[in-house]
Amino acid sequence: MMQVDLDPRTALPFPQAALPILRNTQLRKNVAHATDVIQAKRARLVAEKTDWQALRNAAAAIKDDVLGHLDRYLVEFEARCTAAGGHVHWASDAAEARSIIVEILRTEKATEAIKIKTMTSAEIQLNPALEAAGIKAVETDLAELILQLGEDEPSHIVAPALHVNRSQVREIFARRMGRTDLTDDPQALTAAARSYLRRKFLSVDTAICGANFMVAETGAVTIVESEGNGRMCLTLPRTLIALAGIEKLVPIFRDLEVMLQVLARSATGERMNPYTSLWTGVTPGDGPQNFHVVLLDNGRSSILARHTERQTLRCIRCAACQNTCPVYRQTGGHAYGSVYGGPIGAILTPQLMHMDHAQSLPYASSLCAACYEVCPVKINIPEVLIELRAQVVDRERKQAARAFDLMYIGMRVANSIFASAWRFRLAQRLGRIGLRLFTKKDGWIHALPSLGARWTMTRDLRGLPDQTFRDWWASRPKDRV
Amino acid sequence: MSDARQQILDRIRRATSGGSVTEHPDLPRNYIRHGSLDKSGRLNLMVERLQEYDADVVECAPDDLPACMADRLHSSGKNRFVVPPGLPAEWLASGFDWKLDRGLTHAEIEACDGVVTASFAGVADSGTIVLHHSASEGRRVLTLLPDWHLCILRTSQIVETLPEYFDLCPLPPTLATYISGPSATADIEMTRIKGVHGPRFLHVILVRDDA
Repeated sequence: MMQVDLDPRTALPFPQAALPILRNTQLRKNVAHATDVIQAKRARLVAEKTDWQALRNAAAAIKDDVLGHLDRYLVEFEARCTAAGGHVHWASDAAEARSIIVEILRTEKATEAIKIKTMTSAEIQLNPALEAAGIKAVETDLAELILQLGEDEPSHIVAPALHVNRSQVREIFARRMGRTDLTDDPQALTAAARSYLRRKFLSVDTAICGANFMVAETGAVTIVESEGNGRMCLTLPRTLIALAGIEKLVPIFRDLEVMLQVLARSATGERMNPYTSLWTGVTPGDGPQNFHVVLLDNGRSSILARHTERQTLRCIRCAACQNTCPVYRQTGGHAYGSVYGGPIGAILTPQLMHMDHAQSLPYASSLCAACYEVCPVKINIPEVLIELRAQVVDRERKQAARAFDLMYIGMRVANSIFASAWRFRLAQRLGRIGLRLFTKKDGWIHALPSLGARWTMTRDLRGLPDQTFRDWWASRPKDRV
Repeated sequence: MSDARQQILDRIRRATSGGSVTEHPDLPRNYIRHGSLDKSGRLNLMVERLQEYDADVVECAPDDLPACMADRLHSSGKNRFVVPPGLPAEWLASGFDWKLDRGLTHAEIEACDGVVTASFAGVADSGTIVLHHSASEGRRVLTLLPDWHLCILRTSQIVETLPEYFDLCPLPPTLATYISGPSATADIEMTRIKGVHGPRFLHVILVRDDA
């Protein structure tokens, strides 16, 4: 197994991290198959929805309203949830969130905690912190269980183990569950997970979940899922801790009529996911009697402050952008060096890192805008990518070392050439002479030296024509317009 | 901790001050609220969607409900059923081991073969069964641990679209579960497998009370 690093502070830049993956044909086959299947299902169900664009507009407007009045909605949610018997905690960063959760579990004298898949907990690297505190985290989503037992990392927001195939799952279960009797039939593998987890559900008293939506008006929290592991974790334990980014709110209960319709179709290509759970604080006699919500900032409020980038926080984590992205479809999620891969990860990760890390991610895109087209909350990802590229360049320009960087020297020269007509004409003439050295008989340039090699490494360049447009314009017969 | 609260709220207020954003009541909501099907079209769609999820669906007249239930229970081959306390006593056919949920333990519920409940609403467009966990719908754990769920849905409770269900809730529920087909996963190579953790078998009796 390859070493996968999803900590943006230490992960390799995208081009380096992608290289070994591009050579892994099995992984690429697994990713292509999975994303093809989800995309086809999504396309079919979106097509049958005649009001799809109206739903997208409403979903985007609901999230914009949340973001524009986030302080008010958070305080409202806190008041409602508290009134219903829940405890609301606030965490400025990942370390604070981890210590709040560990502290709650210590008070509960917990040695184990069952978990519903939550990308936010992966974002704050909760499991290693629990382990260090002597608390065993048990992932209960089938995909997360496969990854946990296989000591692997998530590569997709909705289907985190889509890079693993059935025979790899069989091998992991045989090794870690001692189930050498299993075939690679998905039915048998799923049944093995069911019996493995059943005991955990009935015996572990504390659970950790994320949140798909939090309703400010009522203080309710919503989880959407397919397997029922979510319902188990939300219902059976004595204590439940929900970890949620501050942007996960909707203003009123009725907003869910929009969000649930767009989420299921975008995420798994279903009209509705099999199970949606909604609960409000604590209900006597039904479900956990201790309920905690940890509201996580961890860089989100700084994204909120920026005009173009704010839309990043509309994201409802459906992964439709990952499934459709021509880059993600080749590399899978691990190349992004973050739990958030694909187009949304390329804009979210560097921003969560305050642009100090993951600076290669805004370039991991062809700007084809397929992600924008499928996004159920209409995040203009290409627009944000370009804005972030500009920020990366602005930062680099200020670095002293860049004064001697060939690319930056080239850009400064280009700037001066394009600023004056005679310099441009001269450069054209010199360029034509210079490039002639590299132009082959077929009229194409197959190899260039130095920086130019980065272009010709993967594609050919047509040689410059003998006559430029300007030359032709100057020499055209004057009697014709 | 309260420090973090103040810091986060301060940062948010600095970030959002001065921006003019649409107030909530003015949001664009020109998506489809109301369906276009008549009563029988709605019912047919609900049946079709439920069957797509491999749910077993039968219809009956209100007077026939106890007999219809007894028939479903018999053909299940199961014997011990747990029921919420608010289910009408006349629904509980004789010849079965009924466990009335008055604070049963998880182990006692787990030991039951199946569960029988009423429901709050049905959404035809997505084949969704809505539980608000009232006295006749049961605590959440009741419809979770047993492997077999028989759900009674009156046809007058069926709406066509999801927004129509939200219209039924002037007072938002504090607890709700929306069930759209039995527990399933596609985590291994996108192959859909039924029955991971929730009930593997979903049976629905549609009671034609608005005929």
